[in-house]
Formats: sequence, structure tokens, C-alpha cells
Amino acid sequence: MSDASNSLSPPAPLARLRLSLGRLGLGGNILIALLLSIASAALLIALAGKNPLDGFLAILAGAFGDTHQIGVALNRTTPYLLSGIGVAICFRAGIINLGAEGQIALGGAGAAAAALLVQTAPPIVAIVVTLAGGAIAGAAWSGVATILHLGRRVHEVLATLLLNFVALLLVQQLLAGPLGQFGAGFLQSPLMPRTAWLPKLAGLDAHIGIGIAVVAALAASFLIWRTPFGFALRVAGSSRLATTYAGFSLQKLTWGAMLLAGALAGLAGGVEVIGIHRRLIEGFSLGFGFKAVTVALLGALEPMAIVPAALFIGFLETGSLAMQRQIGVPSALVTVIEGLTMVYVLVAMAGRRT
Amino acid sequence: MAALLEMRGIVRLFGDVRANDGIDLFVHSGEILGLLGENGSGKSTLMKLLYGMLPPDAGDIRFDGAQLKGHTPFDAISAGIAMIHQHFMLIEAMTVTENILLGWPGAGQILRQKHMAAHIRDMSQRFGLDLDPDAKISSLSLGRRQRVEILKAILRDAKLLILDEPTSNLAPSEVRELLDIMRRLKSEGKGIVFISHKLPEVLDVCDRVVVLRAGKLAGAAAVADVSRNDLAEMMVGRTVPMPQVEAGDQARGPQQLSVRGLKAAGLEAITFDVRAGEILGLAGVDGNGQLELAESLAGLRSIADGSVLICGQDATTTSVAERVRLGLAYLPADRSHTALVKSMTVLDNLMLRDTMRPPYGSAALLTPAAGRAEAKVLMAEYDVRAPGPESVVGRLSGGNQQKVVIARELARKPQVVVAHQATWGLDPGATRFVLDQMIALRREGAAILYISSELEEILSISDRIAVMAGGSFAGIVPNRNVDLRQIGLWMSGRAA
Ligand SMILES: Nc1ncnc2c1ncn2[C@@H]1O[C@H](COP(=O)(O)OP(=O)(O)OP(=O)(O)O)[C@@H](O)[C@H]1O
Ligand SMILES: [Mg+2]
Repeated sequence: MSDASNSLSPPAPLARLRLSLGRLGLGGNILIALLLSIASAALLIALAGKNPLDGFLAILAGAFGDTHQIGVALNRTTPYLLSGIGVAICFRAGIINLGAEGQIALGGAGAAAAALLVQTAPPIVAIVVTLAGGAIAGAAWSGVATILHLGRRVHEVLATLLLNFVALLLVQQLLAGPLGQFGAGFLQSPLMPRTAWLPKLAGLDAHIGIGIAVVAALAASFLIWRTPFGFALRVAGSSRLATTYAGFSLQKLTWGAMLLAGALAGLAGGVEVIGIHRRLIEGFSLGFGFKAVTVALLGALEPMAIVPAALFIGFLETGSLAMQRQIGVPSALVTVIEGLTMVYVLVAMAGRRT
Repeated sequence: MAALLEMRGIVRLFGDVRANDGIDLFVHSGEILGLLGENGSGKSTLMKLLYGMLPPDAGDIRFDGAQLKGHTPFDAISAGIAMIHQHFMLIEAMTVTENILLGWPGAGQILRQKHMAAHIRDMSQRFGLDLDPDAKISSLSLGRRQRVEILKAILRDAKLLILDEPTSNLAPSEVRELLDIMRRLKSEGKGIVFISHKLPEVLDVCDRVVVLRAGKLAGAAAVADVSRNDLAEMMVGRTVPMPQVEAGDQARGPQQLSVRGLKAAGLEAITFDVRAGEILGLAGVDGNGQLELAESLAGLRSIADGSVLICGQDATTTSVAERVRLGLAYLPADRSHTALVKSMTVLDNLMLRDTMRPPYGSAALLTPAAGRAEAKVLMAEYDVRAPGPESVVGRLSGGNQQKVVIARELARKPQVVVAHQATWGLDPGATRFVLDQMIALRREGAAILYISSELEEILSISDRIAVMAGGSFAGIVPNRNVDLRQIGLWMSGRAA
């Protein structure tokens, strides 16, 4: 990613955000990118035989129309944000970790297992144990990829990507076996104990996961900019030779970044399980891992900038799905609009990357 | 005769920095112009403007009778300007011929490798380049790679060649050959702009020199009329004689760096000691194991056999960070990738190896405010010319980048220093400063291994001189009435 964003920034998160955005030229160019994506969306909606204006109104209403919709959008944002931060930490260090997809799924399984184990615990304890279970499972899975990468020199892209498929099958297997609900006719776990349900934010239909995610973003930003570990990560992302010369261990850095990313992805899976479905369902997180990469790149690998990036995707998706229901455009259109937006924004950012 | 190149009133700003501030420059065909100036005086910037890598803010460029405006490097090449970059833009896995064909419209649509190879052989002979068209780039020395770039320029009918510090990482024999090639180019009617901090070379090969200071013209002269001291004075406003350390003029302490039978890839068993308060100068043609030795001492390379003691402690297998803690400073020759992270700031680079030590931080936290204050002090002390600690290092002039490395390593008050080509790209004033710093550290009791291919520097500051050839020490002598012939023989690898 952008090298210029690797240097030491002023401390305040907001200033930091402004700086990273400014460095990437997101002040001017991103507006053009957004306008372009709106224009393309209009064209696509028109091609589908609908009135683009109706479409946009439906998107807006679907995203911001009432507190319920806002809550849905915030919930959608949460796992993207959490796992996106982890991806950003890895990318900063030059480790292309594409394993969030599998880590989220296994995180969900880990959380479900933990929740079912602590049926009788009081609420706070149950939630903490459950989320910890998710994080540990996610970290364990990224640990497997790290072992393959460091121990057997498998390229990290390959190791993380391929383990996703294994993870998804593993979750299926768990749902068919120990974690499954007997006789449900569907691959899902029994309902989580009520004590482990994630509470809602006051007045909204959103659960507190978004709060957890924003705190995680703050913490990650602090880690990257204000600790020697974060500094080492940034050096590693820029020059391997300089990393060794500086006295940092590439092995340790890789372990650190991968385990953190795995834990965050696992946490995302856990939050999704106890925040939304209240049970582990097969395919509950399909595609989340790749959205994580999307928001990490949109946010220029800066945790505080990933917050708005994830919100943007979360609200866009929620609105688009509502539009699809309301005016009856094909669901593939939503994916296309999202994909195009992503391309435009990335091009806008790349233009400034010199 | 109209000049080949005329640049008038060239201005280029970087923020508040007036990198070029109204510069006039002209070059004739068949002339070698030396472009001199302190670090950061604007030489590279001026050449980048000419080559179309940056747009000027004001000024007029005429080349070969036509105006150049809003041009790109591609336009510059088609107009007949070639720039030989410090970091060569060659593809290592391909042959000389393939690299020359690459991106060259004049080669035609159909690749005629055989025909081209013959042509390359002819031209290379004519200019004394001595290149094998079928050799893989990866098998060529730096000097040879540079010649591939020069040949590329010749074949593309360049009328003007820009050489920005082309000699800084060449062996002395390669430098001599390069100067010969330049003379040959000149006799064929090419114009050449030659940027260098090494005044003897400049006096040797140039017809005329132009000196920049702080983005402005500070002087111009025909080489026949000036001496080395005149040039130095034009550049930095004073003469800069070499310092002179007298071997044995101070009591030496215990052995701070002890190397016993050190073996590693590219190194044969090496044994030596450096005592506290002593400078051991290591001369030799670069590429004879200096890098391997320096990196083995610094912990960047694994040691196959033998031992290294730093300040009396066995450091043969300790980590890089631990060696720094023991008191070892290391100035690598590879500035761009090892010594600096170019995309990060001056402050980041100053704290690169000290993030867990005050004032930069502790094991858990960085302390940016204290770090920034320290960076400001160091920038002033070591004369790092940059807008501030937050400037991105890659945007500093070459010499100022090197000063960041020197500041970082020497400010730690090291017990043992391994310096490899420490004055690389520094102007005479800054070079003198570094040598003085080494002498000051020596006075304070540091043990210094000063590796350089600049014999003059070695002779000026060393207590003892060692010569490296073929991966081992050819000899060590005290720096008193040294027999230069002997040193030369050692360097060329011939036992005497
Ligand atoms: N891309 C850039 N952005 C900001 N400042 C720059 C940039 N390039 C050069 N400068 C500044 O312009 C001034 C002149 O730099 P330049 O590289 O031309 O110096 P130089 O004469 O080549 O020095 P040296 O001998 O050290 O190579 C310096 O102060 C440098 O910091
Ligand atoms: Mg320069």
C-alpha cells in the first residue's frame, strides 16, 4: 500500500485520519470516485429497466430510513470492520493475509462452542468467554497458516487462501457433528444460551459489536503508530532488509501480525454468531473475509480510516438490498455496484501513490 | 556555435525549499561539464527537470535547437537526452542485448537479436565498453551494468548524457575506465553532464565546471584554471583539507572488537583486533568481501566458523539488536534498502534501531514528542538539510540521506563502529565532518573499523591499515610511512 502513510503521524486519531486521507489524496479524488460509482449505478439500474432516481431513494431509505435499518447497517458493518483491521495490520507488515474468510468462520464455531460450554455462567462472563473462544479459534487458524508460511515456506497468499476452504469444510463438519442441532434438517447449532447474547445498543436494533469494533480500531491505530511493535510492522512493510538491520525479527513480527489478525477475524465471527443469529449457521459469514480486504484497502490500511470505509460498505449493502426488495432489480446488481465503487476508489487512491 | 543545451532561469520549489532558484546552464557538444555543489544544492533536481522527471516552476529549456516544455522522460530520450541513473533500470535475468532492445522503438517491430548483438559488439568496441552482448545482467559488476546503460544511450543516438554521481559505487579501476569512456564519448561529439563530489575525478575529466549553492549558481570556471582547493572553496565557501591522525598519538585501550578465524560465505578465515581508541582502516577494491565482513560483524549474515567478540563479550551468534546493545554501530554501504526506509520520515529513520530506548521510546511505547525533539537536535548537529523531522527521507538529497544514517549510528555513542563507505555521496565538507566525527569517537575510546574504497580517507584517519582482497586480509600495517606501492599490490590481490 501507500508507502507515504507508513511514517509517524500526529497522535490524535482524528488528525491521524485526516492526515492519512490527505496523504492518499482522498480529499479530492475520492469524490470523483464516488460520483463515478453513482453514475455507473444509475446506468445499471436504468439498464435493468428501473428508474435510477427511485433506485437511489430506495437505497437511501433502506440505509438510513429508520432506526431499524440503521441498526441493520451497523450490524453489517461490524464484522467487516473487525476483520478489516486485522487484514490492515498484516498488509502494513507486507504480509498478504487473505485468510480472514476462514478465520471468521472458525471464530464463529469457536464462539459457539465456548457459549455452549458456559451455559450457566452469568451474562457478562458468558459473553466474554464466548468472544474469547471466537478470537482464540480465529488466531489458531491463522497460526496454522503462519506455521505453513514460516516453517514450510509456503507463500502466505497460498497458505491463507487455501486454508479458507478447509476452514469452511471444518465448520460444516462440526455442525454435522458435535456442534450441530440434532434433527434440525439444516446445518446449524442449537440456540446459544441467552446469557451469551450480545446486548443491543440503547434505542437501536444494533448490537454492541460496533462499539467493540470501533474500540478495536482505536487500539489498532495506537498499536501501529505508538508502539515499537507497530513501528516494526511498518518498517517490515517497506523494506525487509531494513527490518533485519533494525534488529526486528521478521518471524516474530509475522507471528504477531497473523495472530492479531486471526483473533480479530475470529472475534468478528463470534460477534456475528451471538449478536445476530444466536446460533452457528452454515455459511453465516460467506464472503465476509473478502469484504475485510476491501474495507482495509478502502481505508488505506489506517484503522481509523477503515471505520468510515466499513460503514460505507455496510450502509451501501444494506441500502442496496432494500432497493432490490423494493424496486425489484436483480440481486447481482448490488454486487456489481459495490464492486465498481471499490474499483473507482482504489483507482483514485492509486493515482496518488507516488 | 550554439550550445547543445541551454537552460535559463530554472526554478523549482518543493514547498518552501527553493531547490533550483533561477539557474542558467549551458552545455556544448563535445564538452564534459562538471556539475558540483554541496549536498542538497539542487544538482539532481536540475537534471530531473531537464530529463522531464519533474516539471519546472519557471524557466526555459532549449535542447538541440528546439524548446523542451512539459516534456516527459520519453520525450527527452527522443530528443537525444540520456540519464544514467544511480540505480540501474536493468532486468537482471535478461542478457545485455535483450535489455538494450527493451522499450526501444528504434529496434524495429521484429526482434533481430543476432543482428543487434553484432551491432552491440561493434559499438561496444568503438567506445571501449568491453561488453559481451550475450552476458546476463546478473553476472555483471556494477561498473559493467553502468556501461550497458551508457551503451543504451549511445545506440539511441543520445546527444547529451547525464551522469549523476556515477562513480560513487565503482571500484577505482572501474572509475578510471568510466572516465576513459566519457572522453571517448566526448571525442565523438556527445555532451556530458557529470555530477560528482570527488574533485580529482572532476579535475581529471571535465572541461568546465559549474557550482551550485542553495539552488543558485555559485560559480563557473574552466577546469584548466582551477585547483582542487578552488573548487572546494567554490562549493562550500572554504577549503577542506583532509584531517590527519598520527598513528599511535594516543594511548590505546583494550581490544573492543576481536575477530578470530571468521569464516562466512565469501570470506576466508579472518583474524584481527581493534582496540579502544583506534581506527583500523580497511582498504581494498569493493566487492572483495568487505560487505560480507561488515554484515557478519553486524549480525546480518550467519557466521560459518570462528568468533566475534564485541566489548569482550562473545557475539558470534547474538542477534542484531543484542549487538547494538553491546555497543556496536553499523553504517551499511547499501543506503537505499538496508540503512534507510526511504518511505518513512527522518524521525522514523533516526529511531530505526533505537525504538525501545529513550528518548524514542520504551519496550512498550513510543514517545514521539521526545523523539521529535531529539531528531531536531540531531538534524542540526549533523547538518541534515530537510524541512523537519517529518520529512520523508526518500525526498532528501542523496548526501542528506547519508547524514541521517551517520547521525543515527554515531549519536548512540557506540563503543565499536563498523562503517562501510560512510562518506558515500557526501560533499567535501560533509566528508570532512564524518572523518572528524570518527576521530572524535576514537578520542573518546571507540574502536572503529573504517571500510572504504577511498584510500585517501583511510590514510587520513587510520591508526592501522588493512587491505582486503579475495575475501581475506592481504595485510595489515601501521599507518606510518606506509608504502603505497605495497598497498596497491595487496589491493590487486598479488602477494608481495
Ligand atoms: N521530491 C522532493 N520533495 C521535496 N523536496 C525535495 C525533493 N527532491 C529534492 N528535494 C529537496 O531539494 C533540495 C535539492 O535536492 P537535490 O537532490 O537536487 O540535491 P543534490 O544537489 O543532488 O544533493 P546531493 O549531493 O546530496 O545528491 C534538497 O533540499 C532536497 O531536500
Ligand atoms: Mg543528488
